[in-house]
Amino acid sequence: MSEENQPRTDGGEEAQTDGGKRSDATRSSSDLRSDGGEEEPQTDGSGGGVPAVPPDDETPTWRERKERTQGLSRLTYEYFERSRREDQDLRQESTYVERDVLAFPTWPHETIRNLSLTFFFVGMMLFVSAALPPHMPSPADPSSTPEVILPDWYLYWSFGLLHLDPINPDLAILGGEKLMSDRVYGVMANIVVVSFIAIVPFLNKGSARRPVEEPFWAALGVGGIVFAITLAALPLQDLIGFIPTELLFNLAFFLPVITFFIAYAMLKTMREGYMYSLNRRYYRLRPPR
Amino acid sequence: MSLERKDEHDHRGWMQERDLSPIEQGYLMALIWLDKRFRIVDYLELLETMYYRVNLQMPKSHTEQYNLDNKFWYWYPLYSLGAFSTIAYIVAALTGAILGFYYAPSTADGMEETIAYDDVVFIMQDLNFGYFLRSLHRWSAQIMTAAVFLHMLRVYFTGAYKEPREVNWLLGIVLISLTMVFGYTGYLLPWSQLSYWAGQIGVEMALSIPFVGEWVAQLVFGGFSLDASTLQRMYILHVFILPFVVTALIALHIGIVWMQGIAEPH
Repeated sequence: MSEENQPRTDGGEEAQTDGGKRSDATRSSSDLRSDGGEEEPQTDGSGGGVPAVPPDDETPTWRERKERTQGLSRLTYEYFERSRREDQDLRQESTYVERDVLAFPTWPHETIRNLSLTFFFVGMMLFVSAALPPHMPSPADPSSTPEVILPDWYLYWSFGLLHLDPINPDLAILGGEKLMSDRVYGVMANIVVVSFIAIVPFLNKGSARRPVEEPFWAALGVGGIVFAITLAALPLQDLIGFIPTELLFNLAFFLPVITFFIAYAMLKTMREGYMYSLNRRYYRLRPPR
Repeated sequence: MSLERKDEHDHRGWMQERDLSPIEQGYLMALIWLDKRFRIVDYLELLETMYYRVNLQMPKSHTEQYNLDNKFWYWYPLYSLGAFSTIAYIVAALTGAILGFYYAPSTADGMEETIAYDDVVFIMQDLNFGYFLRSLHRWSAQIMTAAVFLHMLRVYFTGAYKEPREVNWLLGIVLISLTMVFGYTGYLLPWSQLSYWAGQIGVEMALSIPFVGEWVAQLVFGGFSLDASTLQRMYILHVFILPFVVTALIALHIGIVWMQGIAEPH
């Protein structure tokens, strides 16, 4: 198609004055070009005859460049070819069910559905902000430290990790000195927690998706949620003074562990239940003796 | 033989020999005019592809194929949390832009208190709809953060972070952190008592980072104690740097979801 649309540089006018012959010849030669037979000179220097710009020996033609390409770009090109072929093969082999009656079209069905959901959510936000407006706290006063300093609620867990000084170990080898100051310890705790969450996909692989399929990881998640909540209690030590600090720390660290075990046990039990309903027929056929 | 180029593609002649209505003629004139300048034809194929993409009919999803809809329909609201946080982000951006008209990040003395504080008081007391505007901005920020947290939990408990999607999980960690930084910088802007002392803790946290702490404190907070430059920097972070970074990352995040497809419940 592009061949036909391309304006001829050698002048179609001449061909017409000669009568149809020459134009036939050019056409057939252009057909032959792929076979490497009689070729017209191309502007890129390839093809037979006298090229418009005689190529320097050192200057490769575009085709040659493509063929000669080595190293990383060549590898990339080859890989793309391979992966495209693989993709195609997999598609042809797959038994993937294409539906006969296709899904909702994006427009208008899906789009209108999404828009109405969006408007619903925005309306909810408008309603909440009209019903519960924020209050205006007193202006900043650097000379008086308030009794309770708190960030917004979503930073409570992080703020709690800054209050771990009672469990910052003092090492006997350092003569009772702490390895890092309490402040550094708190910041490091934040970094450790976030990095652990970040590497989860590299620790837990496989195709399991449902919590019951992996009771350990699901229970870990539940424990993590509880840990985030109990951590939020640490900076409130002053507010909830009736709980002694030691007990508060025990609660903050052992409640998540307890929840972990409870969640683990529950999920295991649920899995047994699922297995039982899957295997019920087996049990019915051969009742255990 | 003249050197003048022959018009091999005489579009005008072609148009005249066709019997075109004025609308068709006008359309073609405009199209040719634009095409001569911008080579629209080169992009026509792209447009065509996009047209078919938009009207693409999806193949059966996993849940549909194995007829799991009856088991999983109650999960689906959890799958809208990402979109919900994006919507809240857009609302916060719009309201924030309007709030920005009436706010100056200055700790200099204003009429009553600092200028920043006075501006927020002005917004809440004198400006038409100002009270509602600030409320909406604050609530959309809260909702965005909450939705992002719940979104992360959903992704965790449905195992959606697994194998082909690790990069998006990492990107999500970055995004949730930036969301919290967004909230924190915004928390400081009214320059109230809470803002001030939250800022104090931020400075101390920055100073506690090993090796680079002082450098970070100076870069982000403009010094080791809170002053005018702190508020200025929080403001620039909140309205200039973070919006660009977070918007770009959200686009990337959603783009990757689009490419990889949604991880459905199994």
